[in-house]
Amino acid sequence: MQLVLQNLVNGILSGGILALVALGFSLVYGIMNIINLAHGAFLMLGAYITWQLWSTFGLDPILAVPIAFVVLFAFGYGIQRGVINRVVRAPVLATFLLTFALSLLIETTALFVWTGDTRGVQTAYTGANFTLLGVTVPWAKLLTLVVALAITGILYLWLHRSRLGRAIRATSMDVGAAQMVGVRVAHVYGITYALGAGLAAAAGALLTLSYPLTPTMGDPFLIKGFVVCVLGGLGSVEGALVGGLVYGIVSSFATQFDVTIAGQHLSGTGLQDVLALVVLLVVLIVRPTGLVGRATA
Amino acid sequence: MLRIENVGMRFGGLWALKDVSFEVERGTILGLIGPNGSGKTTMMNVISGVYKPSEGEVQYAGRRIADVPTHDVCHLGIARTFQVVKPFANLTVRENVGVGAMYGRLGAKRSARDAFARTDELLEFVGLARVAGRPASDLTIPDRKRLEVAKALALDPEILLLDEVMAGLNASEVDEALHLLRTVNERGVTLIVVEHLMKAIMSISQRIVVLAEGKKIAEGLPQDVTSSPAVIEAYLGARYVKRQAAERERKAAAPPAEPPA
Amino acid sequence: MVAVPKPRRGAITGKRWVFLVSLGLMAGLLFVPAGHSDYLNLTFRNILMYAAMSYGWNLIGGYTGYISFGNVAFFGIGAYCSAVLSKAGVDNLFADVGLALIVNALFAVAVGLPILRLRGHYFGIATLGVALGLTDLASNLDFLGGSGGASIKQIGEAHFTTYYYAMWAVTLACMIATFFIARSKLGYAFVAIRENEEAAQVLGISPTRYKVTAWAIGAMMGGAAGAVFGAANGFIDPPTAFAVDNNVFPIAMAILGGMGTASGPFIGALLLSGANELLQQHFLKLHALFFGGIIVLMILFLPRGLMYLVGLRGGMRRWLSDLAVFRV
Ligand SMILES: Nc1ncnc2c1ncn2[C@@H]1O[C@H](COP(=O)(O)OP(=O)(O)OP(=O)(O)O)[C@@H](O)[C@H]1O
Ligand SMILES: [Mg+2]
Repeated sequence: MQLVLQNLVNGILSGGILALVALGFSLVYGIMNIINLAHGAFLMLGAYITWQLWSTFGLDPILAVPIAFVVLFAFGYGIQRGVINRVVRAPVLATFLLTFALSLLIETTALFVWTGDTRGVQTAYTGANFTLLGVTVPWAKLLTLVVALAITGILYLWLHRSRLGRAIRATSMDVGAAQMVGVRVAHVYGITYALGAGLAAAAGALLTLSYPLTPTMGDPFLIKGFVVCVLGGLGSVEGALVGGLVYGIVSSFATQFDVTIAGQHLSGTGLQDVLALVVLLVVLIVRPTGLVGRATA
Repeated sequence: MLRIENVGMRFGGLWALKDVSFEVERGTILGLIGPNGSGKTTMMNVISGVYKPSEGEVQYAGRRIADVPTHDVCHLGIARTFQVVKPFANLTVRENVGVGAMYGRLGAKRSARDAFARTDELLEFVGLARVAGRPASDLTIPDRKRLEVAKALALDPEILLLDEVMAGLNASEVDEALHLLRTVNERGVTLIVVEHLMKAIMSISQRIVVLAEGKKIAEGLPQDVTSSPAVIEAYLGARYVKRQAAERERKAAAPPAEPPA
Repeated sequence: MVAVPKPRRGAITGKRWVFLVSLGLMAGLLFVPAGHSDYLNLTFRNILMYAAMSYGWNLIGGYTGYISFGNVAFFGIGAYCSAVLSKAGVDNLFADVGLALIVNALFAVAVGLPILRLRGHYFGIATLGVALGLTDLASNLDFLGGSGGASIKQIGEAHFTTYYYAMWAVTLACMIATFFIARSKLGYAFVAIRENEEAAQVLGISPTRYKVTAWAIGAMMGGAAGAVFGAANGFIDPPTAFAVDNNVFPIAMAILGGMGTASGPFIGALLLSGANELLQQHFLKLHALFFGGIIVLMILFLPRGLMYLVGLRGGMRRWLSDLAVFRV
């Protein structure tokens, strides 16, 4: 029972940040049909900005979250307006390769600026835990979860309440119609991509609390974000949240899996990602619109 | 040879077809008519196995079409055209038709070379030989319709379903098309023709089935069907409403012809 | 007057003369080992390897129109086939390639049957999932060496030359197979599915059957390249076998050289992979920057590939207006 509870809590704690990682990815996909392979690179940039602020000025990573967000927001807007918008209507392959190349450029540059050495951030609460009902909760992860959920909530409200947010949603439903009623599609696309990049950076900033930094640290998160999006249903905030939590919980319980077949040892810790990808395939085949998506496809 | 028994087809809450039955005799030409949205194309889709009917069944040569995979329906001898044409845009006209000859009813026995030989005959027959080497995306609307027919003929069908292949043709082209279809029929191919052009359908069909709002409202010889009150109502009713709507729209859009004195 | 376009010939294999030039270049590549340079052999072997992988992708992505983002899976499986055989004491390139062909064909059919039912992006995502899943799986299977990798015994004295010829033969086989498949009934089934799956179905083509066929033949191509690579490299681990680059570059090459043509992958590989090798030689650290830059420029200015440019009538103005279609 204790074990079950602990795994559940671990799952929720890591699921929250995964949801945040997935959120920006999902937004970009849902609104522009872009499979943004640079998402992991943006996350990594957010993490390094946070690290830089911490090591130079001693700024707490939580306080660096908005800064990382703003910097990558601007960067993302520039990339979309300057580069991606030029081929956004080409077949999906074009943006797929383009964003891959962008991530190659960003990661190589990061390798120059910050070298390949593994970096980390130390705060007063790094490594500190508290125990509740026999369940151990690391402060850093709890803080991460709270901030991630807060950001998700703010985004949800903004998308539904603000003028620009509504324009974005309208554009995702019908570009032609949105254009007709005066939405500036190029700008909306810019903002969407900027949001995607900013959210990735925010996630990266939060991740510095519990993960080591390398220039390729974003790659596994890109993949996880991807799986989470598909699980929840591509393109929706609720989907990213549900997908993130499901993914977190499933992979947390997967760590308990441990068998030896014909001398081949299979441990859940190593196979969590395989399991996640198997789940991904099953969901795709059985219910391609995701767990909370509308079954319209 | 083809039996449609109590076929119903539902899309969400809408019955596009409801309890429709009729039969088609070998070697005949059946006209299928009805106002817009009456379910003609849906019927074509059910017969050609593209949709599985929600109710009832279609029987052909003793087989239930619903049990046959869509890609095998043409191997039974049923071919169809698409009202919204579906050319292979990046292939040439010859290649478009060639694919049908390769994979249709007699396709298994043909090499690619034989298939193209058959294709060349067909292109000549339907009058597309002059554009054989063009990509299908270059074709004019009438040629696209011809291409649909040629592709279907390439399947060596016993029965051919034609969904508005004469729409958009001018009067002389319609005559040519009618002549072509008669020739096809004389060579032993049964035809089901969906068409809005009354004159064309009356002249070519031996029997006519009329659909309205998914239901069969009349069936019989062409002259009998047109005098049936139910048909007149369905058609005139629909036309009348349409004309009224058009009238209203015109009035709303255009300023009054004469300024009030 | 309406301009009458010239009737096109060989639309399905690409331009005839381009294919002949490609064959000529392939013949020329036979003489690379005459340079007696391990470096040259390695460089050109890499180019050929990418070409073979690109051919594998081209059958499903270019001809059948199902955009796969996971073809590196087949390359990786092929490489691991060599490792498994080497561990079992069999060090023979024919055996390596043979096993890779069989395993990949079986794997492709097993995986293809469910995922080729998916369309569009969903198919792409699923294929990416397969490739990523295999990477993690390979890291966890002890008999494949786990994340530490496995070594493969090198054969022969002049092994650079041997492996070079092996890769050359694999690539030539891919090129010729593509040419003949494309012109055969099979090729027309693939292309018909790409152009309009529903119309193809009504013409008697079973989409599942032919999609799986295209996918499996492509898998065998990638697998053969992987098997030779594994043997030539002498060592294989998950990041090498399932490298992201190896997933993406072959796609870029097919686009540049011409998707759905019999020479496109070769031409694309020659140019892109050639550029990559050159850059790597001259700018060891910066080469990824240059290479990324090249792909960005290619997508921005040549999203339809090189052959588009060759066939372009109407100059710069037409080019720009064709590009403008893609922007918002
Ligand atoms: N795939 C579908 N999904 C939902 N509704 C459909 C579908 N296909 C047809 N319908 C509906 O079924 C009804 C019959 O359509 P159908 O296309 O069969 O009419 P039709 O007689 O061919 O009309 P037309 O003369 O305009 O071609 C229409 O109301 C249409 O909107
Ligand atoms: Mg219709």
